Amino acid sequence: MKRLLVFLFIAVLALAGCVQTKTEVEGSKDSKEKGKKTVEILGMADSEEDMNIVRDQLVKNGFEVKLNIQPDYGSFSAQKDAGNYDLALSSWTTVTGNPDYAVRGLFKTGGDYSIVSDSSLDALIEEASTLTGDEAAAKYKELEQLLVFDQAYIAPLYISNKYQGIYSELVNPKTVHLPKSRAQVWENIEFNDPSKNATEPLILHQTIDSLTSLDPIKGNDGSINTLNTNMYVRLVNLTDTDEVVSDGSLSYNHAIAEGNQEYYFILRDDLNFAAVKDGAAVDTGELVSAEDVVFSLNRAKDSKSVPDHRTYSLHENIETVEIVSDLAELQKKKVAGSDQSVLDALSPNLPASVTQLAKDKGTVNNAAGTYQVVKITTPTPFPQVLNYLAHQSGGIVSEKQVTSINTYDVAAYNPDKDIAYGDQATVTEGTATYNNHLYASGPYILIKKNDYEAQFVKNPAYRVGSEYEPKIAKINVRFIADNDSALSALRNGEIHVLQSVPETKLDIVKSDTKLTLNTADSNAVSYLQMNTSGRPVSESVDLRKAILYSINQDEFISYYQGNKKPAVSTVSPLINTGLKLEADSKKVKEYLKAYND
Amino acid sequence: MKNSLHVKLLLKITQEYVNSHFTLVFSLLFSLLFLAYSYNFSTQNWRPIVLIFFVIYAITTAYVGFLTLRIKQDLASYSDIRKSTRLLGYPLLLTIVSGNIFSTSFAFLLISKSKTAEYTFAAYALITQLFIIGISALNLFKPYVTDTYLLAMGLFLLLAIFYIVMLILCSKFVTSEAAPKWMLLLGILLLIASLTGNLFATLLGYSLIQKARKANPSTIEKWQRILEKILRNTMAVFGLFFIVLMFSLSVTSSWTFDYDFAIENNYGALLQTPSLEYPLGTDNYGRDLFSRIVFGAQISLIVGFFSTIIPALIGGALGAFSGYYGKATDNIIMRSLDILYAIPGILLAIAIIAAFGANTMNLIIALSVGAIPTYARTMRANVMQLSNLEFVESARALGASDAAIIFKHIVPNSLAPMIVKATLTIGGAVISTSSLSFLGLGIEPHIPEWGNILKVGSTYLETHSYVAIFPGLCIMLLVLSFNFLGDGLRDALDPKSN
Repeated sequence: MKRLLVFLFIAVLALAGCVQTKTEVEGSKDSKEKGKKTVEILGMADSEEDMNIVRDQLVKNGFEVKLNIQPDYGSFSAQKDAGNYDLALSSWTTVTGNPDYAVRGLFKTGGDYSIVSDSSLDALIEEASTLTGDEAAAKYKELEQLLVFDQAYIAPLYISNKYQGIYSELVNPKTVHLPKSRAQVWENIEFNDPSKNATEPLILHQTIDSLTSLDPIKGNDGSINTLNTNMYVRLVNLTDTDEVVSDGSLSYNHAIAEGNQEYYFILRDDLNFAAVKDGAAVDTGELVSAEDVVFSLNRAKDSKSVPDHRTYSLHENIETVEIVSDLAELQKKKVAGSDQSVLDALSPNLPASVTQLAKDKGTVNNAAGTYQVVKITTPTPFPQVLNYLAHQSGGIVSEKQVTSINTYDVAAYNPDKDIAYGDQATVTEGTATYNNHLYASGPYILIKKNDYEAQFVKNPAYRVGSEYEPKIAKINVRFIADNDSALSALRNGEIHVLQSVPETKLDIVKSDTKLTLNTADSNAVSYLQMNTSGRPVSESVDLRKAILYSINQDEFISYYQGNKKPAVSTVSPLINTGLKLEADSKKVKEYLKAYND
Repeated sequence: MKNSLHVKLLLKITQEYVNSHFTLVFSLLFSLLFLAYSYNFSTQNWRPIVLIFFVIYAITTAYVGFLTLRIKQDLASYSDIRKSTRLLGYPLLLTIVSGNIFSTSFAFLLISKSKTAEYTFAAYALITQLFIIGISALNLFKPYVTDTYLLAMGLFLLLAIFYIVMLILCSKFVTSEAAPKWMLLLGILLLIASLTGNLFATLLGYSLIQKARKANPSTIEKWQRILEKILRNTMAVFGLFFIVLMFSLSVTSSWTFDYDFAIENNYGALLQTPSLEYPLGTDNYGRDLFSRIVFGAQISLIVGFFSTIIPALIGGALGAFSGYYGKATDNIIMRSLDILYAIPGILLAIAIIAAFGANTMNLIIALSVGAIPTYARTMRANVMQLSNLEFVESARALGASDAAIIFKHIVPNSLAPMIVKATLTIGGAVISTSSLSFLGLGIEPHIPEWGNILKVGSTYLETHSYVAIFPGLCIMLLVLSFNFLGDGLRDALDPKSN
């Protein structure tokens, strides 16, 4: 018995020696970490995972972190406007596919979403917007260096990819596009069985159920981006890879004149406006004409044309919009960078060659050679203006209809009494205010909406007989707030296309035989916006840089199982400047020390 | 050969026989579960570790079956269990190594002839301590242990030996009425030992101190009677065991478990399946689920406990005043509480948290406010009943003040229903805490709490279901334990069943 006890005692001692304790492994920490800086991170519940990773990285680098998680965008904006944050977790998608839009609204003094005010940054933004090609790339590299590495106004996290799930059991996956910037394209989607196109509704979805406005210039958010893109036609469109083309737009062709300040568009005559009558779409017989283009773009650039104008800063680079009446002008002007005349550049693939320019829309007849041409001028050379014309806010509305509805005085606008064109209340079914006055120039028109879905039908007068005629007659857009629920709906066939599959669920979609996964690059960048007023981070560059170098983008990428890409700024998906953010804990200590002194 | 009716009666009242049946059923159930889980149907091969467990449990079941038959034989032939049968219980003690709590407690029951409550408490204190040692020992497979680990494990081993000694001493020297005087010192030592959270040590210490001090025999007898009633209800005892184990684990985990493993992300170990280093696997941030669940017990128990005690105290006081004074006071208090009662509890909690922010303090307040009316009602009913009894009149005649009557005479006698209600609703409080965390309204998402862990797991239910199953099982088992204990207490404290 005694021997057994002695043996046990020795065995226990030996085992105790084999065990490594924490202090042996990690080294003793400073007795009481004095003066740990507290950082408050503001974010939405959807970005909870990113907030956790940022918190973890900051804590490991010696910060204390406080999380401020807001349930939705409304409360998030309220907190952001009140300044209750050191870091705000934001994301930005450049829907126009051009780098100027990635920085102007976000970082220029006075920009729509900007809280940064730095004159050298402003100068760089202006300069870069006039350049193209390699010169532009070099200038944007300087911009990123200043924005991220020198001043650390933002700390970039990652670039997302686009993952789209299609219910390929019913829907033909080859007809579903996944563009990089452009919103979802509806007109070419078809069912596997073409006989269903006329009878079965295609069921799509979006997260937000409250539509800002169906007037394209009065909204610039996820609630109406896709809807207005498909209700209104534009002068030009973006391809899936962000090139500007006339395909599927109001123009046959477009040309840029020498000097990059004049832009010409030759218009089609096979699009009429559609309206809603007795719950169905009817052809109004009114042509979508150059007069409507002039009206639409003038109101787009004029901040006083409507109350709550959300997109005038996108079109502030348009100086004039006019209808060209002199054919000689087109023959004399040359295309930028070539010997070709503008008329020749506008002439390919027309139904008949141009014999005269129409005086007004009543005399338009493309088959007989009478066309309308619209000219847009910019005050300075600005080729990126084409990208903004491809944005949903460049949608063409009916001059006659909009002026007949918008009879209120803009300065004295009272939302309770005055009805504006595109108000959500006028399209909400079952209410006293339902009075659908929309005139759609695009492939689909909204009939009505409720809290669960919005119903669209095909515009009967849109490019009938051509390849761009909308294939599916009815489209319902369901409102599903939670992306995981939307994924379940896709797997059950309740919705037919899921616009963004969560990165952690890609395997589920890939292994499901009823579904197809589409992958594409995206312009979406997630980053941390540092508060620029009222907080310690606002005053000290050293503190901002300490936070910047705590961020480890590789850890984000492994968390998302390799389905994200490293980023430097919102320009990164568009132009690769070669810069890279590497986490460096030595630099963090250095900058923190500099801050504390 | 005894009268068969006599034998039947003996079988019913002999604790060992009833317990052996119970143990047999549960051991068989677990053996079958292990058998079912041991074959991996999707990959068409066996899981060797699970198979080994199945074999161990199957052997245990067979042995218990054999013992059952022997006990039955003994009772039929000798009306009592023979010493040889009792000795056969010793090998069954080894099953604690396989974690079979049922057969271990049966073994302790079998080997000792004396059935005092102290013996049972000592046995369970030992079992709890051994489980704690076993669970904490899993930390040895991590890259490193906390600085206090070796010290804590040494302490646990010493305590285990102490409990073994107590077990032997109790079975030899303690009777149902008295205990030797030197047990007083051991009782005090036990109370100190209960600082590790082992409530069985507290109960044992208190009991021994009472007996050793030769306190009022009627108090001793009342205490013994209640204890015996509870201890006879095996499910209640297992419920108490699980609760004490969780409590003890949450207290000692600060010394033996590393908090960093539970909070810091580890991007190299995302969503790992259970292994020795990560006994329950890792979640989507690479954090060890085992450590998270153990630390989560702390918050779930603290919030659950406080959000039951606070409304019990406040509601109890309000109900006592209401029931004693009656008329206008009663009306005012009860009607205001009715208004509070009309608001749905969980919505009220959500509203309070949305208004004041989500942290532990606010969570406790939010959950307490909604529970006050029911406690007030229970206390009021009892107090109204008791106020009309003669001893209250006589106390008043002797000149005792109202406060003294209420808090010294009436309330102690109406505590029984309150205790039962509290244990039954504490389970609800644990679930409410987890629900609020699941909705994102409770603790911060990175702090380990069973509801938070469950929330993360719910998105991985299809691919990595263990992330959700383990915290869910823990919540279920804890609430079930509280329910069983509450049932047992109610049966024990019910005056009508005397």
